Amino acid sequence: MIRDITIGQYFPGKSPVHNLDARLKLVLTFVYIVSIFFCKNFVSLGVSLVYLVFAVLLSRISLKLIAKSLKPIVIIVLLTSVLQIFYNDDGTVLFQRGWFEITTGGLIMAVFTSVRIIALVLASSLLTYTTSPTLLTDAIERLFSPLKKIKINVHTIAMMMTIALRFIPLLIDEVDKIMSAQKARGAQLDSGGVLKRGQALVPVFIPLFVNAFTRAYDLAFAMECRCYRGGEGRTRLRVMKFCKRDYAAIAFTAVCLAGIGVSNALLTALI
Amino acid sequence: MPILETQNLSYVYGENTPFRVQALENVNLSIEKGELVGIIGHTGSGKSTLMQHLNGLVKPSSGKVLLDGADIHASKAATYAARFRVGLCFQYPEYQLFESTVYRDIAFGPRNMGLSKEQVDERVRRAASYLEIRDTWLNKSPFDLSGGEKRRVAIAGVLAMEPEILILDEPTAGLDPRGRAQIASLIENYRVSTGSTILIVSHSMDDVAETATRVLVMDNGAVALSGTVDEVFRDAAALERHGLDVPQITRVFLSLRARGVEVRTDIYTEKQARRELIRLFKKRGVLQ
Repeated sequence: MIRDITIGQYFPGKSPVHNLDARLKLVLTFVYIVSIFFCKNFVSLGVSLVYLVFAVLLSRISLKLIAKSLKPIVIIVLLTSVLQIFYNDDGTVLFQRGWFEITTGGLIMAVFTSVRIIALVLASSLLTYTTSPTLLTDAIERLFSPLKKIKINVHTIAMMMTIALRFIPLLIDEVDKIMSAQKARGAQLDSGGVLKRGQALVPVFIPLFVNAFTRAYDLAFAMECRCYRGGEGRTRLRVMKFCKRDYAAIAFTAVCLAGIGVSNALLTALI
Repeated sequence: MPILETQNLSYVYGENTPFRVQALENVNLSIEKGELVGIIGHTGSGKSTLMQHLNGLVKPSSGKVLLDGADIHASKAATYAARFRVGLCFQYPEYQLFESTVYRDIAFGPRNMGLSKEQVDERVRRAASYLEIRDTWLNKSPFDLSGGEKRRVAIAGVLAMEPEILILDEPTAGLDPRGRAQIASLIENYRVSTGSTILIVSHSMDDVAETATRVLVMDNGAVALSGTVDEVFRDAAALERHGLDVPQITRVFLSLRARGVEVRTDIYTEKQARRELIRLFKKRGVLQ
C-alpha cells in the first residue's frame, strides 16, 4: 500500500556507508552516475557494478529493500530495452520475421541501457537510504554555497528542501489516515474505472490540502516564534569534517574510475 | 452469541524492514450486543490498530474477526458490508470533512450504502438530531464551524450509516471540559435510544469510567486486563504497570485514604464521589 513507498526514505544504521561524510556521498553518487555512462564495454560495466555491489553490501541495507526500490522502474527498464531491440540494427541478425528483427547490437544495447538505469536508481536510492534528510540538505547547502556569490539564496532553498523532505512521511501518514477514515464510511478507493477512482479521491485530497495549508501556517508561526531569520549568522551543532574513511572512499572510487578507464582503453585497443 | 469477536488476532507492521513492529499479538475478545466497552491503553499499546481490524480496514497477519459469527474477510463483499455494520470514527475526525456542506458530508456514508434519496435524507436528519446539529448548519460549509461543532458533524457522518456497532477513537480528545461532557452525553443518549453496541478507545480512564459497562486494558499489543470498571480500576498498581493512571477523581480518594481519612477508594465518577463525600460529611456531623 501507500506505506510501501521507499523512495527518498532513510533507514538509520551505523554502517561505513552511513557514516561517510554526506557531502562526499553526494558527490560520489553523482560521479558514479556519470561514470556509468562512460562504460563502453562489458568489462568496464562490470567494474562499475562491482563497485556498486560492494557499496550496497557495505551499507548493510537488506537486499529486499534494495529490490523494492527497483520496483517502480521495472516498466521503464522493460520499455527501453524493447525499444532498443526494435530500433538497433547493428551486428548480426539473430531472428527475423517480416520487418521485425533482433540483432546482437540491439540485444547488447538493451542490456547496457537496462543495467545503466538500474545502477543509476540503485546508487541514488543507496544515497537516500543511508543519509538522513537533514544531513543531505546540509550537504547540498554547503556544496552549493559558492552560489551565494551570485545572489542565490542557497540557505532558503536548502531549508525548503529539508521541510519538504520532512513533510513527505507526514503527508503519507495523513493520506493513510484520511483514506482509512473515508473507507470506513464506505468510500471505494481501490475499485472501479479510472473516472470513478478519480472521483473517489476527492474525499481524500480535499482534507489533505486543507490540512497541509494549516500545517504550513502553523510551521511558519513556530519558526517565527523561534526567531528564524534565514541562514545569516547561523552556526551548526555538527560541523562536517573529512576523516580517514572519507579519504578511503575517495581512493576506492578513484580506483574504480581508473578501472573503467583502463578497460575502456584496453578493449578499444584490442579490437 | 457475541456480536463481535476476535480469535488469536495478530498484526505486524513493516514485516522485513528495520521498523518491524508486532502491533497486535493473539488478541481474543468478544463483545455482546448493547455493551459499552472502553478499550484503554497508553500510546502505542495497539488499541488503534485493533480498532481498524474490527471493521475490516486492516487485514490481520493471522487470526480472525467474526461479526455475528461470520468471518469479515470471508469475501470482498463481506468485508465491504462490515464497514457499514461496524462504524468507525477515527481520532480527530473533523480533519476528514471534505464536502461543500455539512449535509452532504453527513450524507457521504449513507450514499455509499446505495440508499435512496429519501432514506439518505432521513438518516442525515436523524444523525444530526442525535448530535444536536441545528438545521441551519446543514447548509453551511463544514470548514466554517468551530472545532467542537466540526467534531459533532464528523461523528454524525459515521452515525448516519446507523451501524450496529460504533467504535470511537478518543472522541473527546482536544476538546474543552464542556465539549467533552457534551460529546460523552450525546454518545450515551444515542446508545440508550438505539440499543447499539459502542466501543470507546482512549488513553484516559476518565473518558470511560462514567459510562462503560466493561473495560479492556491493552498493553504491548495484547489485552492485559479486562473486567467491569470496578474490577479494573480497583487495582491502581496493575494499571500503572501498564502505563496508565486511575481516573483523576479516584486519585483524590486514594490520597485522602493515604492521609488517614476513612473513605472508600472505589470511586470512579463524580456521582460516586459526591455520594461518598456526603456520607463522610454526615458521619462527621458537618452535614445533617
